[in-house]
Amino acid sequence: MKKLFALVLVLCMLMTSVALAETTEAEPTYTYNISAAEFPTVWDPMRSQTQTDSSLGDFLGNGLYAFDYNETMDGYDLVPLAAAEYPEDVTADYVGEEWGIEEGETARAWKIKIREDLQWEDGTPISAQDFEDSAKIRLNPVAQNYRADSFYSGDLVITNAENYAKSGVESDTTLRSFMEIEGVDTVEAFMELHGEDEGYINWSYSFGDTYDFESESWTGEAEDAVVDSGLTFAELYTFYTEGAGGEYITWADDAGKREYALDELYAKYTYSEMTWDKVGFKTVSDYEFVIILTKPLEGFYLNYSMTDNWLVKADKYEECTTISDDGVYNSTYGTSAETSISWGPYKLTQFQSDKVYTLERNDNWFGFNDDPDQYQATTINCDYVPEPATRLEMFLNGQLDVYGLNKDNMEEYAASDYTYYDEGDSVFAMVFNPDKAALEANQKTVGENINKTILTLKDFRTAMSLGLNRAEFCLATSPTSTPAFALYGSQIVADPDNGVFYRTTDVAKDVIVNFWGLADEIGEGKTYANVDDAIDSITGYNLEMARAYFDKAYDEAIEQGLMDEDDVVQIMVGTPNATSVFYNNGYDFIVNNYTEAVKGTKLEGKLTFERDSTLGNAFSDALKTNKVDMLFGVGWTGSTFNPFGLMEAYTSSNYQYDPSWDTTADMLEIEIDGEAYTASVWDWTQAIAGTTVKGKNAAGEEVDLCFAYSTDEKETKERFEVLAALEKCVLMNYDFIPLMGDATAKLKGMQIEYYTEDEIFPMGRGGVKYMTFNYSDAEWDAFVAEQGGTLNYK
Amino acid sequence: MAKYVLKRILLMVMVFFIIISMCFILVKLLPNKPAEQFGKDMQLIEMRREALGYNKPLIEQYGIFIRKTLIGGDWGISESLYLGQNVWDKFMEKMPATVLVNAYTMLFAVPLGLILGIYAALRKNKWQDHLISTLVMVFVSVPSYIYAFLVQYFLCFKLKWFPFQMVAGYDYFTWDTFVSLVPAILSLGFGTVAGLTRYTRAELTEVLTSDYLLLARTKGLSRAQTTVRHALRNSMVPIFPMILGEFIGIMSGSLIIEQIFGIPGVGPLYVASVTTATPDYNFFMLLSAFYTFIGLASNIVIDISYGFIDPRIRMGSKKNG
Repeated sequence: MKKLFALVLVLCMLMTSVALAETTEAEPTYTYNISAAEFPTVWDPMRSQTQTDSSLGDFLGNGLYAFDYNETMDGYDLVPLAAAEYPEDVTADYVGEEWGIEEGETARAWKIKIREDLQWEDGTPISAQDFEDSAKIRLNPVAQNYRADSFYSGDLVITNAENYAKSGVESDTTLRSFMEIEGVDTVEAFMELHGEDEGYINWSYSFGDTYDFESESWTGEAEDAVVDSGLTFAELYTFYTEGAGGEYITWADDAGKREYALDELYAKYTYSEMTWDKVGFKTVSDYEFVIILTKPLEGFYLNYSMTDNWLVKADKYEECTTISDDGVYNSTYGTSAETSISWGPYKLTQFQSDKVYTLERNDNWFGFNDDPDQYQATTINCDYVPEPATRLEMFLNGQLDVYGLNKDNMEEYAASDYTYYDEGDSVFAMVFNPDKAALEANQKTVGENINKTILTLKDFRTAMSLGLNRAEFCLATSPTSTPAFALYGSQIVADPDNGVFYRTTDVAKDVIVNFWGLADEIGEGKTYANVDDAIDSITGYNLEMARAYFDKAYDEAIEQGLMDEDDVVQIMVGTPNATSVFYNNGYDFIVNNYTEAVKGTKLEGKLTFERDSTLGNAFSDALKTNKVDMLFGVGWTGSTFNPFGLMEAYTSSNYQYDPSWDTTADMLEIEIDGEAYTASVWDWTQAIAGTTVKGKNAAGEEVDLCFAYSTDEKETKERFEVLAALEKCVLMNYDFIPLMGDATAKLKGMQIEYYTEDEIFPMGRGGVKYMTFNYSDAEWDAFVAEQGGTLNYK
Repeated sequence: MAKYVLKRILLMVMVFFIIISMCFILVKLLPNKPAEQFGKDMQLIEMRREALGYNKPLIEQYGIFIRKTLIGGDWGISESLYLGQNVWDKFMEKMPATVLVNAYTMLFAVPLGLILGIYAALRKNKWQDHLISTLVMVFVSVPSYIYAFLVQYFLCFKLKWFPFQMVAGYDYFTWDTFVSLVPAILSLGFGTVAGLTRYTRAELTEVLTSDYLLLARTKGLSRAQTTVRHALRNSMVPIFPMILGEFIGIMSGSLIIEQIFGIPGVGPLYVASVTTATPDYNFFMLLSAFYTFIGLASNIVIDISYGFIDPRIRMGSKKNG
């Protein structure tokens, strides 16, 4: 009996110990190991500036709305995240003078209800007031926060947000902005008010030269800063439009000069003091706030403008804020683990500058209340590893879960099952300066028998486009990139409500086939059965045609007296520095490519290139300021969901690379719904951005043109037609020639699995949220050891 | 001697001031225009620049720099590299990692360089000397980052003896930290070992063939006695300042080595301060001042050290008779 009792006791003890062992066994951990070639430095939502900073900050916060997969998993939806529901239009509640809203208006005031379970990582609840307090911090006039303009410079314009952010600040304000502030429509009316004020100008930007009013001559030097001209505003305007300044601007007619003056003449304007209660941001309950807008905004673009996180913990922010003796505001919020606090899916537990950061799952994140299985990674560990060779070795040894391929190893892993390709949303171009006066001035300074003015000929620029082997250029500079054949790439969304990509529309396809001269070769019995086949055939490289155009351009140049037979064409190419591999390889490729391309033509041995690699940040302006004749690898990024607004980058004097194209004077006829309308290129640009402009119909009658954002199918289609016509117009100028689209390639580690094999824009392949793990950390270590410590990804 | 030192210090201050002034003016002459961004309110950026005093006349900015920084000791806030962070604090946060790896390198390289140099000199024109001299030529000629990649490839990737990167954290004096630094120490040390070996061999060879050593041997001293007591001591006169210089240099990081082995030191800072999109004036001036000071001070220390190594050398003393 004793023996039996002892046996039972031993068995009980054994079972207890096994049970205890089971209950105390640690939960498996899943660490997502990544590396960064650039390391974040500040992820404060008020001041972060780079994608690198956002890569960390995005885990610590949320947008009110966020992209997610649609139900059919082949597109996206923009859904409430920190918001409890979609915004409610409460414009009617704010009608009146205070907010400038008239009876019957809509989409000017929106109530946003936030989730009631929002909280900081330490458990402190988050209320609507916190959102308002954070907005106030972002717009703090003393702080000049980098991201303050997100409340007034895009689609979302909160009433008086800009005035509050600049409250009491004196700044250089363009004539156009000043007129808007004063609410006057004409320059004459403005001059009556401020004509006697001091006039300011940036000589470098406007002329690349300074005019000495005493000696009445140009000095040949120009400071790149807004300076007092010594004239009154009215005198300066006259100088710019009619006087010596106007004579200098040979590339624009009188109307164009007056248009340029609006953006290039400055006055000192002091924003009046403004209190926060005048700003259109009101907390109306614990979990509701209202934003009151200066211009209507609704639908996709309203929600999209609130995908950005601006919430900070106000008391912590205050602790991190200092104002120096000389009044300079500073904050260290979001620069270390100690100065960060999360309300996102992860919290920052370790940050060592230029070394490592570690994020751990934030159990207080509201999203886990809905779905505790998302974000399987328990830890995200990011090492700063600037050397690609080291990153690859770490990846192969199982220490990193992703490796971005580059030129040196692209070929080796291009066909790997673990290689994933991601398209970007930017198109980079090569741009030329076709301004005759500027080219003449430049060629004079470089000496005898040097020609630059051949660049004014469209045939020459066409030859340059056709003569560049884009595929080889990509291989030489950025092998993951792909040749580009149009202004907008395949990731640009033109109808965001329905997820329609611009390049998939018929009008956008027509632009490409027309630009590349294939329109007549499509159809039954012709070279291409359909438009898609024609587009697929485009390489952008046709040496035979290029050579014909080179000869034609040469003959034209001789005939027009632009160059002599013993002249040599010299193109000055601008690059930001002499150290960038992209620009070094790119420049070498361009020189070799065109030297070969002109062989057998009348330009053989006569086409040369020089390089200015000292331009730094002024690189993108160098063409505009006539410092160089050509740039490459330039373009505009962003505005993925708004190609209509982005068109301004190509047609506005503020942004366009070619200073000689006066888009206010260049008239463009567009057929809409079977009827032709004519307006200037600039007016069409404004029309698709939602401004009403004047144009003419086929009968010559003046009509209003406006193609604002709409969810109506017909109106959307018309807007596409105008956008496509503008794209074609820009391309046919041959001064901004598409070169390459950005794209990346990466190796995915065996430890992780993406949610979707295909990239679904803008979700990618599901990101960290949907990523799953094939092995826990312990299993992964064992697996790597089993493989001999080095994994084979080929 | 004291008068000489004082004179050198005063001269140092003057040279320091001139160099710093030149640096200030030159860095301010660099283009510092923020790049145009589509849809960005550039006025906001201009307002920040105005608040920071970037638009003040250069002479006024220089006056503020003298008053606030050189006299007041306030090096300001980083406006580009580490936005919003105190540049002195950031510099001091990163300095220990650089000092540590360089100090370990010196501790490894100096004794080894001396031993190999002495051994090669004693075995002059024998196969051991030829072998060492050949290796010295190889290691002197090849830049350290080449070793770095080779060391990392073989020791870290293939053999897996060491981690790829220095371990994270601020606890520098642990075994794990030391082990993680070994690849960097080897990569940095090879060049120093080679240089020191070559220099020691050359100096010692010259001393060993001098007349007074022959006299010492003829007086009955053994080869070991003459080498240790006389030859080594005399050959150290030019070698010691070289070693001292290397130690002082431990505060200047190596851009490439630190990047390859994940050492969060000061190596990349100087170049980065002027190659970022907009120059980080405060960081550049702090680093310029710091390294200028270290360079000038080390020269004084090295000059003074000659007097201690060789009592025959007395700097600044008046000629007798």
